[in-house]
Amino acid sequence: MKVTFPHLGNVYMAAKIFLDDLGLDYVIPPLSNPKALEIGAMYSPEEICLPYKIMIGNYIQALEQGADTIIMAGSCGPCRLGEYCELQKNLLKNIGYNVTFITLDVPKDIGKEELLNRIGILMNASGKSSYEGIQALIKGIKAMYLVDEIEKEVYWRAGYEVHKGDCKKILYRYRQDVFATNNPNKALVILKKYLKQIKQVEIDKNKDPLKISIIGEIYTVIESFSNLYIQERLMDYGVSSLRMLTPSWWIKDLIGKTVKLNSIGIRRASKEYLSVGIGGHARECIGEAVLAAKNGQDGAIQLFPVGCMPEIVSKAILPTISKDKNFPIMTLVMDEMTGESGYITRIEAFLDLLERRKLKVV
Amino acid sequence: MKVGIPKGLLYWKYGVFMEVFFAQLGCEVIVSRNTNKELLNLGVKQAVDETCVPIKIFHGHVASLKDQCDLLVIPRVMRMAEREYICPKFCGLPEMIKNSISDLPMITEEPIYAQNLDQLYKSMEVFGRKVTKDKRKIKEAFHKAWKAYEESFCGIYDVGYKMRVALLGHPYNVQDSFLNMNIVEKLHDLEVGVMTEEVVPRREVNAYANQLYKRLFWTFARHCYGSGMYFAKNQFVDGIIYLSAFACGIDSVVIELLKEGIGHFPLLVLKMDEQTGEGGLNTRIEAFIDMIERRKWYESNVSSSRECVHGS
Repeated sequence: MKVTFPHLGNVYMAAKIFLDDLGLDYVIPPLSNPKALEIGAMYSPEEICLPYKIMIGNYIQALEQGADTIIMAGSCGPCRLGEYCELQKNLLKNIGYNVTFITLDVPKDIGKEELLNRIGILMNASGKSSYEGIQALIKGIKAMYLVDEIEKEVYWRAGYEVHKGDCKKILYRYRQDVFATNNPNKALVILKKYLKQIKQVEIDKNKDPLKISIIGEIYTVIESFSNLYIQERLMDYGVSSLRMLTPSWWIKDLIGKTVKLNSIGIRRASKEYLSVGIGGHARECIGEAVLAAKNGQDGAIQLFPVGCMPEIVSKAILPTISKDKNFPIMTLVMDEMTGESGYITRIEAFLDLLERRKLKVV
Repeated sequence: MKVGIPKGLLYWKYGVFMEVFFAQLGCEVIVSRNTNKELLNLGVKQAVDETCVPIKIFHGHVASLKDQCDLLVIPRVMRMAEREYICPKFCGLPEMIKNSISDLPMITEEPIYAQNLDQLYKSMEVFGRKVTKDKRKIKEAFHKAWKAYEESFCGIYDVGYKMRVALLGHPYNVQDSFLNMNIVEKLHDLEVGVMTEEVVPRREVNAYANQLYKRLFWTFARHCYGSGMYFAKNQFVDGIIYLSAFACGIDSVVIELLKEGIGHFPLLVLKMDEQTGEGGLNTRIEAFIDMIERRKWYESNVSSSRECVHGS
């Protein structure tokens, strides 16, 4: 059995550490790339959302490298992600790939036994005990937290750095180094080393760069290919960016949900504008926008793929927040046809606007 | 008190319930006009660009009603069956309306949980309290409204036609004759009978929907998929026409599942948005009916080269 999984930002690093520790044979699909999107858009139904198309590209590129089992997260919210596994399974079968799908779904929906059963398939293939499995999982989660911590620092410090490009250098180097090793323990050490390094990057505390929150649909926000590397672009402009939705936040949220103690701050902030959870991450989007305004950020950019149902609701609410809090928010809608130049123009125009506001020229 | 009910979205299925409920509470119920071009334009102007056309039409209805009533019913339907959802836009409907249309009268923002009668009553009690304090009256109105809903039937079951097609899709796409450009009449003119999902027994719908690997968790998706499979597998109709609003997230999934499930059974997907032209729609419907006719009466399924001619 050779497992693979769709990309979601930097989850592949943590997943690699987890799978290395478990001793499973795996293929990591090439990082999401235009070719993957092209393949995905060719086979996918026309009106399905962008993440689906990129994922199909990921799968096919991994299957060509010899993978035969796909691990995928499911959900049973009103979001379309929950239906992906069924559609993708049919799609891959119809175009002639013979794959096994292992969907990790919430136990509430498929039953605890079925979930354990599905995990059991993986554990059997690895030949490790469940204790070792949990150990591997802990390592994976630890790595996820470190990765997110490093990226958060990188994106935030980019606005303050003294020597332009320091942060970006670390960003690229750490990704390479972690990916190069197959030893999970060594990978964790490397991650810790880089976390220390990024915290020692020389910064100018007197600088007052533009600070922008990246909010919106979780996949588009995390998977930088799908948002045309917006945060890395902002680094080049000397802008500090902040994004709350990360894979580690998602893990924390998932655990918190069982006792209803998840992301209290965001929930409280969103209450005034959206009082109930409507599925997806619409409430988080609203909450983050309110928090960003409160925490003195200069603006926010909302990202979502075309046709994303919950985010359309939040897009309707955001102008009101913008008006109430005097806080600029721009919405960028992504799909496979999004052109780079138009995209950059919009971002630059938004940054100009923020800068002029900051200098009180307007 | 004047209560306004916009004739859009779920009104097409549950409108009678709301009408009777508020009428029984002694309110004057004002239902907006049938959808027309003017209302659509009004809605398009107000609503967020990215939404689907039924939501835009709903915005139009709300905008046309807002000056005529004291209370506007904007149902926030959270759930219609246990462990199922409907489109997230319904859960955020009051927010979308509130933030897009100004100068609204009082609106109903409270969530409606309709997975069972008790829950529904609890939700409706909150609505009723906006009008009266008399709990007994609310209860009575609720029961009368429920009875009226149960007795109502909004589906279509045509008999006596040589050919019949099933018309599937969300109720507001199938029932709103402006949105679907009076497709039922068009089909009748072509001497084709129509069936809708309401005529399929719930048991059958669930049986087909449960055959999927992943449980379908949208109520209307279950209805459409289950009834479509039922129609196709039992050869109850000669073809299926699926009415779908452009950029509908749920339909994008259901159509794929249905295509996979029914195999070579004739299926026509009609996408509708505010720019859909009637001419193109007519052509497609006629071509589809011609195709079924030929398949049924003039051709066998085997071509001269003994390959399947129809289907993808």
